[in-house]
Amino acid sequence: MLQAETVQLLCLTAASGVPLFSRGSSKQLPFSVIGSLNGVHMFGAGQGALLSSCETERGSRVVWRVFQDSLMLIAVSGSGNNAVSKLHLHRLLENTWNCMVLVLGQDELANMRNVERLKRELRSCYRLIDRLLERRGEDQGFMGDLTHCADCLLPSHPAILQQALDSFTQAANSEFGCLLIQGRVALATEKWWRLAPQEVVLLSILVNLLSGVTSCDYPVFLPQGSPTVAHRLLCFQLLPSAFVCVLCGPSPSLHHVESELVGCFWSPVVETLRGCLEQGERSPLPPSVSLRWDVQALLLINRETRRSVGACPRARSHPSSEAQPLSSPGRRWELLRHFYTFAVTRYFTSEEASTSPDSSTSATAHESLHEEFSGGFTHQPVQCYLVTDECKCYGLQTPQHQLYLLTDLSVPTFALRSVATHTLNAVTATTGF
Amino acid sequence: MAAPVPPGSIIVADWHRSPESREFFKKILHKKKRREFGLLETPVMPPHLKADTVRYKVFISGKSGVGKTALAARLAGHHIPNLHYETTGLETSVVFWPVKLRENCRVLFFHFQLWDCGENAMRRFDHMLPSCKEQVDAILFLFSFTDHGSFEDISNQMSRITDPSDRVVRFVVGTKFDLFMHTDVTESEITRFQEVWGVPVFRVGGDVSGGFGEIAPLLNALAENLWHQDCVHASSASLPHVCHPEDTSREVIV
Repeated sequence: MLQAETVQLLCLTAASGVPLFSRGSSKQLPFSVIGSLNGVHMFGAGQGALLSSCETERGSRVVWRVFQDSLMLIAVSGSGNNAVSKLHLHRLLENTWNCMVLVLGQDELANMRNVERLKRELRSCYRLIDRLLERRGEDQGFMGDLTHCADCLLPSHPAILQQALDSFTQAANSEFGCLLIQGRVALATEKWWRLAPQEVVLLSILVNLLSGVTSCDYPVFLPQGSPTVAHRLLCFQLLPSAFVCVLCGPSPSLHHVESELVGCFWSPVVETLRGCLEQGERSPLPPSVSLRWDVQALLLINRETRRSVGACPRARSHPSSEAQPLSSPGRRWELLRHFYTFAVTRYFTSEEASTSPDSSTSATAHESLHEEFSGGFTHQPVQCYLVTDECKCYGLQTPQHQLYLLTDLSVPTFALRSVATHTLNAVTATTGF
Repeated sequence: MAAPVPPGSIIVADWHRSPESREFFKKILHKKKRREFGLLETPVMPPHLKADTVRYKVFISGKSGVGKTALAARLAGHHIPNLHYETTGLETSVVFWPVKLRENCRVLFFHFQLWDCGENAMRRFDHMLPSCKEQVDAILFLFSFTDHGSFEDISNQMSRITDPSDRVVRFVVGTKFDLFMHTDVTESEITRFQEVWGVPVFRVGGDVSGGFGEIAPLLNALAENLWHQDCVHASSASLPHVCHPEDTSREVIV
């Protein structure tokens, strides 16, 4: 239906199937196909069946989901070897809905009064939706859209910046504050971390869109925490690629925070911030963490706090002649995403169901992420591995963490487990992540 | 609202072309592109070339789709997005612009903070417009040469947003001038508008090379008029030309 690696996203009214928008691939699906995709879902619903996804012979996938009994989102992926995973498409629908709520609020979407008006209003969501479809962050290792865990950066000396952030947030009459370095959450106040993980991810994506913007005042509806009442997201670019954000109510004004508070709280720590940015250029992990030289990339998720940190060394720490050359960071991040999808859909759990409000639809979507394995066995796998002709992968799950590791082919398969355990300990012991 | 001052009467016109300005303009460039400044940064000059910074807030007003965000990006030297997306909130961006005063040869860095707010967001959320108008020093009213409606709306906006007693510099900027083949707004309409309102009209569009040539006239005029407005306010009547009410036919191709 579509070219390989492209995804098209359709939005229709759930009741009448009127198309509201279509984003993604430059070549739009013909109207008749859109009509059929809606029709087949509607037919299923009439027979008491919920159609959630399907796959064509050539590897194209279609995923449907209805939100708030009001709007239907359909994602269609192109065929080809490098097919887009079902997990990715499910997440895409969920993230898209959350974007729409973030910008317009749930009332506007759930209680549709006028289709033409809604069509116009929905245009304001295109920037965020296109960013999700572009998948531009994937080259730099942003995985929050897939994992629904905040992409973090662990600063070497967080205490002094945390203090600045806490007092700045308080001075802005807020309890929700966050410092983003190179698009990753370096620090946040306690309350910020209590936002739903998808919200933290979404707000980070929103801030990352602000290229060239010095400060902003965006009205945002929090899809889980406050879907009907807008808050204000104030962001300030302290240094290029270093943003501080607060969520607040009607006051204070952007002008006031910017002219009175920003300089006063952040000028004293500008050198620490610069240090943080320099570190971020190299790796989201602090330099005190030493990884084995044959580790190609890793993703570590803290299951309790729903935060994640990734690393993809630019160069070998101990160059050796027999080591295989490192593929590009973009490629390694891509492999890591594939491996995450592989492990989470077959063996591990992804901490989802509890956080979604419309539990009926999300539970079905969630169950369908899991394939054969869990069905046939009563136990819960805690480790898994995969050997490919490019690298070896190892996944490790503890009650608190999940680690996804990419290593060189030269690491003996029997040693992968100890390399993974060693790496997990090396990161958690040094950073307390 | 003071009448606009003729270009080059208070500051050195086309100073960005003069060799002596190079050291100053170097500070707002990085690898041949405009340098991006965070809120904690300002251009730092060596002690013998000390230049003060003066800060002004500039509000960009106009109908949805006329190119407010693109103008802000153009003035700030940022990448101009290929696709049009609605701005769903209020965004500010910063432009540093070095200027040499004629009177005492002093060099100043003008720090313009451009306030850009999506029209729909402004309609849906009441706090946006007051926030943009809070302590504003200048307002750029935008219309698009390809949309006659946006031009007709300018007079409404000017009377709605500003009051004659406000201490605000007002300019009108016509965007998408490069699409003159499709232009909806005629020269005579613009001339007439300038006569009636006494507000200069600038034209932008086309050149995306990011050089100073295309933005200098607008930024210089902003600097000149803001400085003049402050001087008048401070009652320092030592300016060479105080006002030229007849000089409203100024047209500058930006």
